[in-house]
Amino acid sequence: MLQNNTALHVQDLSKTYATVKAVDGVSFEVRHGEIFGMLGPNGAGKTSTIRMILDIIKPDSGQIEVLGGPMNEDKKARIGYLPEERGLYEDMTLLDTLLFLGQLKGLSRAEAHSRAEKYLRIVDLWDVRERKIDALSRGMTQKAQFVAATLHEPELIIVDEPFSGLDPINTRIIKSLLIQLRESGSAIIMSTHQMNRVEEMCSRIMLIDHGRQVLYGLVEDIRTRYAPHAIEVEFEGELPDLTGIAQSEQQNGAYRLLLNEGTSPEQLLKTLVNSDTLQVKRFEELRASLEEIFVQVVGAEAYPQEESA
Amino acid sequence: MSKIWLIARTTFWRQVRSGTFLLLTFGLPAIMVVAGAIPILRETRATLPAIGIIDRSDLTDPQETFAYDGQSLSVEEFTDQESAEEAYRTDRIQAYLVIPEGYARGERPVLYSSETPSETLRDALEAYLRQSIYPDQPGWMLERFDNPAEFTYTSLESGASVSEGPGVLIRVVTPVVLGLLFALSVFTGANQLGTVIVREKDQRAMEMVITSIKPTMLVAGKVLGMTTVSMAQLGIWSLGALIGLSLAFSGPLTFSPSMIHAEAVLWAVLLGVPGYFLYATLASGLGILAGDQQHARQLAGMLGFVGMTPLYFTGIIAGAPDSALAIAVTLFPLTAPTFGLIRMTLTTVPVWQLATAAGIIVVCLLASVWVVARVFRAAMLMYGQRLSISEVWNAVRLSG
Repeated sequence: MLQNNTALHVQDLSKTYATVKAVDGVSFEVRHGEIFGMLGPNGAGKTSTIRMILDIIKPDSGQIEVLGGPMNEDKKARIGYLPEERGLYEDMTLLDTLLFLGQLKGLSRAEAHSRAEKYLRIVDLWDVRERKIDALSRGMTQKAQFVAATLHEPELIIVDEPFSGLDPINTRIIKSLLIQLRESGSAIIMSTHQMNRVEEMCSRIMLIDHGRQVLYGLVEDIRTRYAPHAIEVEFEGELPDLTGIAQSEQQNGAYRLLLNEGTSPEQLLKTLVNSDTLQVKRFEELRASLEEIFVQVVGAEAYPQEESA
Repeated sequence: MSKIWLIARTTFWRQVRSGTFLLLTFGLPAIMVVAGAIPILRETRATLPAIGIIDRSDLTDPQETFAYDGQSLSVEEFTDQESAEEAYRTDRIQAYLVIPEGYARGERPVLYSSETPSETLRDALEAYLRQSIYPDQPGWMLERFDNPAEFTYTSLESGASVSEGPGVLIRVVTPVVLGLLFALSVFTGANQLGTVIVREKDQRAMEMVITSIKPTMLVAGKVLGMTTVSMAQLGIWSLGALIGLSLAFSGPLTFSPSMIHAEAVLWAVLLGVPGYFLYATLASGLGILAGDQQHARQLAGMLGFVGMTPLYFTGIIAGAPDSALAIAVTLFPLTAPTFGLIRMTLTTVPVWQLATAAGIIVVCLLASVWVVARVFRAAMLMYGQRLSISEVWNAVRLSG
């Protein structure tokens, strides 16, 4: 059942290259006004899924509804894409590049110019607008590419590793632009390996592994579902002898207590509050980080490969 | 459609502003002009030396001075070669001519000189021999001996007239020139498209562009842009050649309708335009298949070789312009524009052959656009990789 604010609906999407099933029955939807995280290890099928959404490659089976129906040429002007494989015409100036790409997205030259000025000023590139792309630094090119992808203020934006190669200041600029676009009602699909950014910015996520969708839903629900059945507590005084604790460790002044299956956090809290030897200052039921979930679901073997890559 | 124009316009300006274009368009002709101008300058600055004559045929009536083209040729007669050698060593003369006994029967005179004689000296010696053999004849008669007539040919049926001279030369060579211009434009323009495409693929810009337009539109825009670049280049070269010719003929050429080979121009358009687009489409397809610039250049070189093939067979075809081989290369789409036109200078090419060739080119063009668009879709995002034959086949068969 599609919601009224659905920007993208993907149903049972599959794609096979020769003998490799790159995407295998993936289904999800993305809504206006949200940032949706598309996660997965390298080669999981994220880029293939994105390219099928954008009509760059055709699916073997499945349905894609973009902005209320099948993809067509007019809708391409309402979509923005920042690919993982970055690149702009190196022999063109920054401004000419943006004017060209803006016009390809249906903006008039004058409109493209005024938008280019607006966004280049925001990302602090207006002063280098007449510089050729190959004369820009890596960070500048990254920002320029982001502006090129969003110049036409699209309703659906797909960004693949938007923060890669950016310093903390520029990361903050791009992050605020993405949030601004989300608040203006754009639907944003963000593919990244930076799990902290996903936790900060995404309301819902999908995790793909070997072409299959292995996780899908609200970030908070997923983090709760994969919670380690543990609590973190900060207190003053002495920790009494506790029952129902499988493991305890001290970290940065707090105690992390892994509970036995039969022990509930409520029971433990009651015990601690009633104890005469300590005074509880913080008691928090732990939820799993997305990084922990990623490793747990995808398999620990995926990380060493990525880190060495 | 407006997006195709946008791609074409952007491609055109990017190419025109590139160093390669400027070098090829202005640098290459400049080098050729300089290379051609050096001997001409040498010629115009050449002065006629003092010459010795030893006439063993006893046919000439030696003259001490001979006026030629505003200069004076000073001539000294010698009875034997030793005295001429002596005069040369003492710098009285700079060269000497020995007219053999059998000159009247065709034996060749020998010019002894320390350096290669200039064109002016050769012409002056020819004029001197004419004059000294017939010393009493007026100049106009000697001119007539040399060049008895320049004809005007008038058709008894249409009444159209053609006069010999630069005009008729232009008319006769027009088809060949048009054919060669086609081959040249393919070599310099269409083939560059392959390297332009692979460069674009290298720069990773294609993935963003392709989310705004269809691959066919991208190919069409690129082909159109590069064709315009090629036409601009040919236009600049043609204009330069025209100015050069005007200067060579000491004033602007006077054109007359008889100088225009209308049939050749018509077939140059009908064969050349779709033929050029066919090459450009194939070149862009090869460019997208190439893994890198070097591979793209190799593939473009192969296509360029096919484009220039007619030139290698010109000798054979000239000997038998109506042979089966000549007809075959006229009908083959990649050689048809050049060969169809070259043959028009050599024979009367039946209209059915040219019309069939044009039809075949158009069909092949449509088929190649269809195939290249599919290959493009499959290969454009394979950065630094080449497509295998089976992958190309799958792309053509499966891509929708």
